[in-house]
Amino acid sequence: MTGEPDGDSTPTPRAGLAERQAELVAALVAGGPPPPGFAPGPLAATRAALLRKRAGEVARHWPLLAAGLGARWSTTFAEWAARRPTAGSLRDGWDLARALHAQHALPPAAAEELAVREARLRYDGLRAPRPRRAPAVGRAGGAVAVQIAGRVRLLRPAPRVSTLAGDAVADAAGS
Amino acid sequence: MWGRRRVRRMTGPSGVGIGWRPEIAGFVAELPGLRFVEVVAEGVPASGPLPTGLTQLRERAVTVVPHGVRLSLGGAEPVDPARVAHLAAVAQRLDAPLVSEHIAFVRAGGLEAGHLLPLPRSREAVDAVCANVARAQAELPVPIALEPIAALVDWPDDELDEADFLTEILDRTGALLLLDVANVHANARNRGVDPLALLDRLPLERVAYAHVAGGAEHGGFYHDTHTDPVPTAVLELVGALCARRRPPALLLERDGHYPPAADLRAELDALAAAAGFPAVT
Repeated sequence: MTGEPDGDSTPTPRAGLAERQAELVAALVAGGPPPPGFAPGPLAATRAALLRKRAGEVARHWPLLAAGLGARWSTTFAEWAARRPTAGSLRDGWDLARALHAQHALPPAAAEELAVREARLRYDGLRAPRPRRAPAVGRAGGAVAVQIAGRVRLLRPAPRVSTLAGDAVADAAGS
Repeated sequence: MWGRRRVRRMTGPSGVGIGWRPEIAGFVAELPGLRFVEVVAEGVPASGPLPTGLTQLRERAVTVVPHGVRLSLGGAEPVDPARVAHLAAVAQRLDAPLVSEHIAFVRAGGLEAGHLLPLPRSREAVDAVCANVARAQAELPVPIALEPIAALVDWPDDELDEADFLTEILDRTGALLLLDVANVHANARNRGVDPLALLDRLPLERVAYAHVAGGAEHGGFYHDTHTDPVPTAVLELVGALCARRRPPALLLERDGHYPPAADLRAELDALAAAAGFPAVT
């Protein structure tokens, strides 16, 4: 309890530390240049550890996306996320699912998960998703979900073009 | 319904505990000797229904300590008052005897790092942490314990060694210490120094409780993953800590890749044995 600083009288701007913390975070999550003096090996290990942690959290929010990609989940997520700072796990997974959908690379279970989310919530890719008030249809990769009065139903599952092993039972769902 | 008034506030964590997570709520609920859990504070709503598992634990008078991970007490900017208010509200509704957070920052320049990042061990950083801890303490209904983190990367211009850095922060804030034994192991291993030398210089009488977690070696580093088994070296370090001064409580943290219940029970038993606490299983 000695010399406890007073929150109100302490000068708050600490430009030196603030700038250097911002440089470090940018280098780790946004592809920024390495801050001067940092050893490259530990910096790279930190970057990889942050990506693994983030992948696990996105997998908890998007279990079918992660499970659908199975063994490819970690690398797919890391490649997509390496220079994209997080917008939160819900939006990260959503953005990745839409990107894979655009490349026709979204597994069927993940397409169903995306269709259900699209029907339930309005997401403009920029701000936090918000519940839809009006009835809505969500579509992704052949899957169709409909939302009426807040209740969402998957009307049509995504077609399974081949029997991909592990599509729904892979253990990569982060749980 | 959970009767707040019927449950007396616990004096503090004691014995062997486990980090409560929704994925293992059923397992935790069935541990007969459990007196103490920790819950990620940001995962508990400030109002509305509590997760049912937590309500049941409080009805059994199990101590629940909210553990913050997003306050960013080590950020150069002032801590977000809304985040402090949330932590305070969660502590209140769980009748927690204390809360805990990290000596770390998690965001800067408008970007979220996504996890705990280390501070430079400088006077400037000590000032920043102490100012933020004081801001939090002014709003919190209970004491705060501060946890040193595991860092893979060190800043190039550290002025203080780890023991001096931590002791200075604890002295100036009056905060308790949440000592993570796995972090001590990880940092010592990755920096090539002796973990016992750090234990010998930390104010162990300030430890409110200790964390223990699993990790794994890859890429030439020891990673404090919380998703792997607790290594023997970490259990041995628990023994070394307890030989110096046993903390009132030890808590196992597991955050994913949950093993079968029998394996998790065995880890809790091993932890109890290493510390000389009664088994909770």
